Amino acid sequence: MFKKSLALGIVSGLLAGIAGIVYAHLYYTINEADFSKVASTVSIISASLFGGVLAAVGYTLLDKWLKARGEIVFNLVFTLISFISLLGPIAVRLPRNIDTPELFPGMVIPMHFFPALAWFTLKPLFIRNK
Amino acid sequence: MNKLFYPIAAVLILATSAFTFLAAPGWQIADSYSISFTNDEASGIFKDFKGTLVFDEQNPGAGKFDVLIDVTSINTGNGLQNKHAKSDEWFDAAKYPQIHFVSRSIIRAGNGYQATGDLEMHGVKKPISLPFTFKRTAQGGIFTGSFTISRSDFGIGKPGGEVPEPVKLDISVPVTKS
Repeated sequence: MFKKSLALGIVSGLLAGIAGIVYAHLYYTINEADFSKVASTVSIISASLFGGVLAAVGYTLLDKWLKARGEIVFNLVFTLISFISLLGPIAVRLPRNIDTPELFPGMVIPMHFFPALAWFTLKPLFIRNK
Repeated sequence: MNKLFYPIAAVLILATSAFTFLAAPGWQIADSYSISFTNDEASGIFKDFKGTLVFDEQNPGAGKFDVLIDVTSINTGNGLQNKHAKSDEWFDAAKYPQIHFVSRSIIRAGNGYQATGDLEMHGVKKPISLPFTFKRTAQGGIFTGSFTISRSDFGIGKPGGEVPEPVKLDISVPVTKS
């Protein structure tokens, strides 16, 4: 089980990272606000990958402990953690040489949902419902 | 009367041109200036700063500073905090969009200088003394100063509370010859 969920976590993390990079470039173009110094390509990919792998570990553990209810609890916890993680970009203090910090949460907040979105979308391809 | 016009004009022109040699040189503010404020709870910078700086190390008494800081250019690094700082609870940028300092006198003090003048902020004008140094550089020079004000003296924020009263200001203004 862990092998499959880890593969799902890595693939969904990578896809979330790619989606994040595309979204960031769109955001820079539309808003003329460049946050690439604080949210670089590498940091977007690695943060998304971290989220995916963490989800894989969480899914495996909850599936093992709670059996049939494990997936329901996991989905709730994953969504809840994605919401709670929004506090990070809202509270973060950027270097002061970066203009328009008020536009930063608008760029990063959607990215916090990309790993969960990718996981839920790709899960049927990796893990079949029991 | 006509006979006196040209001699008087000549004397006036001579006198005026002679005093221009005595006047302290004016400086152009370079883009790489930094106006920052810090205390235990809040810190940030003001991005927009302009004004006239007239100063000569050999004759500081002839100098004059008249500078304006745009309150709306405040940047704490956090969008919500910027909005909060500009609100009527703190700087009230809509009503008081500028911080204004005009020097009345500049004297030598220790290894540097001291500009005494009026600081107007949040609609309150108070006399302050601003210690600073001036160093010549290849491009012109650099003014550097640090001083502390009490935010309640200017009615900024509620007295007491989480944000401490003293706010330290660090100023670094590179200048070129104008």
